Amino acid sequence: MVIKLWDGFVRGFHWLLVVVLAGLWYTGGNLDYLEFNGNIIEFIDVHHKLGLIMLALIITRILWGIFGSSPARFSQFLRGPKAVWGYLKSPFSKEHLTHNPGGGLIVVLMLVLLLAQAISGLFTDDAIFFRGPLANTVNNDVVRALTSYHKQAFDFILILIALHIVAIFVYLVMRKNFIGPMITGKKTITNSNITPPKQLHGGYGFILLSLNLFWIFWWLG
Amino acid sequence: MRFTSILAVAATAVITVTALQYSAPATADAFADAEDAVKYRQSAFSLIRENFGHMAGMVRGEIEFDAESFQKRAEALKHLSYIPFDGFSGAGHGVTENSDALPSIWENWGDFSEKSEAFNKAAHELATASQSGDLRSIRPKFMATARTCQQCHEGYRAD
Repeated sequence: MVIKLWDGFVRGFHWLLVVVLAGLWYTGGNLDYLEFNGNIIEFIDVHHKLGLIMLALIITRILWGIFGSSPARFSQFLRGPKAVWGYLKSPFSKEHLTHNPGGGLIVVLMLVLLLAQAISGLFTDDAIFFRGPLANTVNNDVVRALTSYHKQAFDFILILIALHIVAIFVYLVMRKNFIGPMITGKKTITNSNITPPKQLHGGYGFILLSLNLFWIFWWLG
Repeated sequence: MRFTSILAVAATAVITVTALQYSAPATADAFADAEDAVKYRQSAFSLIRENFGHMAGMVRGEIEFDAESFQKRAEALKHLSYIPFDGFSGAGHGVTENSDALPSIWENWGDFSEKSEAFNKAAHELATASQSGDLRSIRPKFMATARTCQQCHEGYRAD
C-alpha cells in the first residue's frame, strides 16, 4: 500500500536545508570572496544571510513539528530512552511509519544544534571584519564564548550529518529506501492495516516560512 | 686619606661594572618583565583593531565613507602594523598567560614571522591605495589586509 508520508513542506525544508548548510559550510571560517558582475561579495556576508535563512528554516520546522502534518510532529517520533535503546538493539526488526526512534532523536538533536549554531552566530565577532547583528547587546566575554562555541560546535553538526547519511545508506543496503519518500513524499507500506496519517497542505508551511524570513531579515538582516 | 679615596673609587667602579652587567640583559629589550611585554603587544593590537574596525565600518557601508579619515586610519595602521611583534620576543617570548597568544607561535616562529611580514606589506599597500580616495580601488587592498589578519589568527590566536 502506498501512502503519503512527507508533505511538501517537510521535503522542501529538508532539501533547502541541505543546500543552505552546504553554503554555510563553504562560506564559514574564512575571509574569501567571490566576484559577481564585477562586484566583490564577501563570503562572510553570504554566510550571514544564509545563517538567517537557516534560522527561519529551523524555527519553521520546529513550529511544523508542533502544529504541522501528523508524521512531521515531534509527538509522533520523539521517543523515550527505552524506545531508543530498543531500536539500537535491533534496528531492522520493526517498520516505523515516520522516523524510527533513533532517527527521531537525530532529527531533534540536529534541530537543537542548528538552532544553537544560528543563534550563536548572531553574537559572534571575528575580531577583524565581521560583527554579528546582536554582538553589541551582550558583553565581550559572552561574545568571545559564543564565537568560540560557533566555531567548535560545527564539528558536532558534521558528525550528526555523517551519522544520518551512513544510516540512510545502511538501510538502503537493507532494502529500505528512505531517500525516495523524502523526494516524492510517498512511502510503500507492507502492513495494509495502517490508516494514512493526517496531512496538512505543505503550502501552509511555506507561508509560515515566508513570515519567519520576513521578520528575521527585517530585524537581523 | 689617599688610600681611602682610592678604595672609594675602586669600590664605585666595581659596583658600577657589576650593576651594568646585571642591568644589561634587562635593557636588551624594552620590557621590564613578561607582563609588560604582553601589555605592550595587546595595546598595539587594540590600536590596530580600533583603526581597522573604523575602516571596516566604511568598507561595509555602516559608516559613511570619508576619504580623508580613511587615509588617516590607513596611515596609522601602516605604522602600527610593526609594533606588536616586538612583544612576542625578548621578555614576551613564550608568554601565554593573560593572553590569547597560543604556544604554537614560538613552535612555528618562522611561519609566524612570515605572516606578520605579510600583514606589514598588506598594510603598506592599503595605505598607498587609500591615497586614491576611491573606495572601489581601496576595497580589495583592505580585504587583502583582513585576510592576513585571519591567516595569522588561525592557529596562533585562542578562539
